[in-house]
Amino acid sequence: MSKRAPSIAVLTGNRLHDGLVVFLGGDGAWVEDIAGAVVARTPEEASALQAQGARDSALNRVVEPYLAEVREIAGRLLPVRQRERVRIDGPSILVDVPGYVSPSPRAPNGVRPLASDLRASLNPGGEGSDPVPVPVEAA
Amino acid sequence: MYRYDEFDAEFVRQRTAQFRDQVGRRLSGELTEDEFKPLRLRNGVYLQLHAYMLRIAIPYGTLSSRQMRKLAHIARTYDRGTGHFTTRQNLQFNWPRLSDIPDILGELAEVEMHAIQTSGNCIRNVTADHFAGAAADEVADPRPYAEIIRQWSSLHPEFNWLPRKFKVGVTGSEHDRAAIKTHDIGLHLKRLADGRLGFAVWVGGGQGRSPFLAELIRDDLPEADLLSYLEAILRVYNLHGRRDNIYKARIKILVHDLGAEAFAAQVEEEWRRIRDGVLKLPQAEIDRIRAYFAPPAYDERPVPAPPRAAGRAFDRWITRNTHAHKQAGHAIVTISLKPIGGIPGDASAAQMDAVADLAERYSLDEVRVTHEQNLVLPHVRSGDLWQVYRGLEAIGLAEGNAGLVTDIIACPGLDYCALANARSIPIAQRISERLSPRQDQIGDLKIKISGCINACGHHHVGHIGILGVEKRGEEHYQLLLGGSGAEDAALADIAGPGFGPEGIVDAVEKVVTTYLELRSNPQEPFLATYRRLGATPFKDALYAAA
Repeated sequence: MSKRAPSIAVLTGNRLHDGLVVFLGGDGAWVEDIAGAVVARTPEEASALQAQGARDSALNRVVEPYLAEVREIAGRLLPVRQRERVRIDGPSILVDVPGYVSPSPRAPNGVRPLASDLRASLNPGGEGSDPVPVPVEAA
Repeated sequence: MYRYDEFDAEFVRQRTAQFRDQVGRRLSGELTEDEFKPLRLRNGVYLQLHAYMLRIAIPYGTLSSRQMRKLAHIARTYDRGTGHFTTRQNLQFNWPRLSDIPDILGELAEVEMHAIQTSGNCIRNVTADHFAGAAADEVADPRPYAEIIRQWSSLHPEFNWLPRKFKVGVTGSEHDRAAIKTHDIGLHLKRLADGRLGFAVWVGGGQGRSPFLAELIRDDLPEADLLSYLEAILRVYNLHGRRDNIYKARIKILVHDLGAEAFAAQVEEEWRRIRDGVLKLPQAEIDRIRAYFAPPAYDERPVPAPPRAAGRAFDRWITRNTHAHKQAGHAIVTISLKPIGGIPGDASAAQMDAVADLAERYSLDEVRVTHEQNLVLPHVRSGDLWQVYRGLEAIGLAEGNAGLVTDIIACPGLDYCALANARSIPIAQRISERLSPRQDQIGDLKIKISGCINACGHHHVGHIGILGVEKRGEEHYQLLLGGSGAEDAALADIAGPGFGPEGIVDAVEKVVTTYLELRSNPQEPFLATYRRLGATPFKDALYAAA
């Protein structure tokens, strides 16, 4: 039996005017903090989120929304994929380089580990799901 | 430097106004994302992981101080105080608001810059040797030809919707600092048998998912025939290049599938039809463009020798970061954007302003951007080197590590790029910190890191290459050995099973330590040792415990 928490999903995208990462919140608003995201726990709920995303995309509230797989660990929503974890945390550059000013207001001071602490919680058996395609554009 | 004429200025002004209107219609909801995306991409605007990204063209990597100050101003006003210089000699801003981008393009137009054709399936920004016009080993300055190609390729109606993007690189030296064999077309400007200038034409190079080195298809192209021959190549590609599969759409696949000889035959046939037509370059036009790149007015007064006793760090910097200039009493200076543990290619607004000041005062107002993500002051009097060094020291950019193991190319990777599968920057930072104490002992060694198979970090031609992949949602890194992007170009070999984020730095260190143990003498560089011994001893060291 898997020790992993079952995966669930949130709907995420980028805000139109500035491109920042946002999540669909419980009241239908798009919020910057994943803690405020509404969670889909069944396929039906996931479909409902996607339908809401399509409507909000048509209304230009958000750009290219998609479902991101997450798990609930210690009361927090943590994305399964490293890609989504970086989207939440911002660039993970080592910000203690002398003279360097971090471009990310969300990056903490000091060296951030390569998510090894989270990885152990998320993926204790070294297994996981295959990557889900997300919207990208060619370089 | 080239200066816009009235046509250039009006063209960029109109394009900026057009895009302002398009952005306005997108923000108002009149345009959908599907309608807007191809328009924004044609103007260098991507939507990345965290925000929009604006890619600005720096033709053949040449900037004036005024242009550099404008980039600093944009970084400070519209971004978060930093710009990222790329392996295509471009600059990327990672945090602009879509609503601000028309204003940014307006500011760029004031200094003869734009973001046109920095994306899309068209002919991209033409790159050149970053020492062009200054290098002692140069036959001729390749930038006039890069400018001629820029003018020909800008909004070329026949080649604006190619099967895939198209990159041209030009060098005027035997020593290839422009990596021409990794380009769709690589041009080597040289003296032909009759003593006149002409080109060796290499076609079908490229990295990405299917890496190929370019093939030589003509070794004696007269300069007057440059555009007609390029047009013939592009026509063959446009006609036969695949449009059904994005992974097989680059010209490298066509050249590989047809064979270089058969491809060249088709080009020659098309060229025979058009070579004496409107694209024949009149000597007067070549001379007119060349005049923009005439050697600057060098200060030829005798200069005192630089103070060699100024300290070991200055000596290292002189040894590694200055290069022979064609003009006596002058040197080319590489400004390393690779401070130990720093972010490859990043410069803050304050650093950009300071570099502009140094260029204005000490380098005849010129700055270059290198495909190795460094900057260059191309024309520094030998007697001014100490002052330049002190100026760079004050902004944290005086590391004397050009070409050393800490002078790492790294793409933005998963920290910024929507295509990436793994992070590049933190890996580069950790390798830099780990190996910096031994970098002088190690000597010439190029590490190149890409966060995905698209290979923007040139991992296929790294002496040591690192490719980030995604494995079950997590980052994983392949290690490659033995590549080169120079005149001895070679594609690197995959060493074996990959490593996790923690293990890849140890693996690189193991390869380097093995090299130090096996090199025949301290002057034998890593690549020579690898070529002499092959991969086996390095693989043994990497996987012995497995």
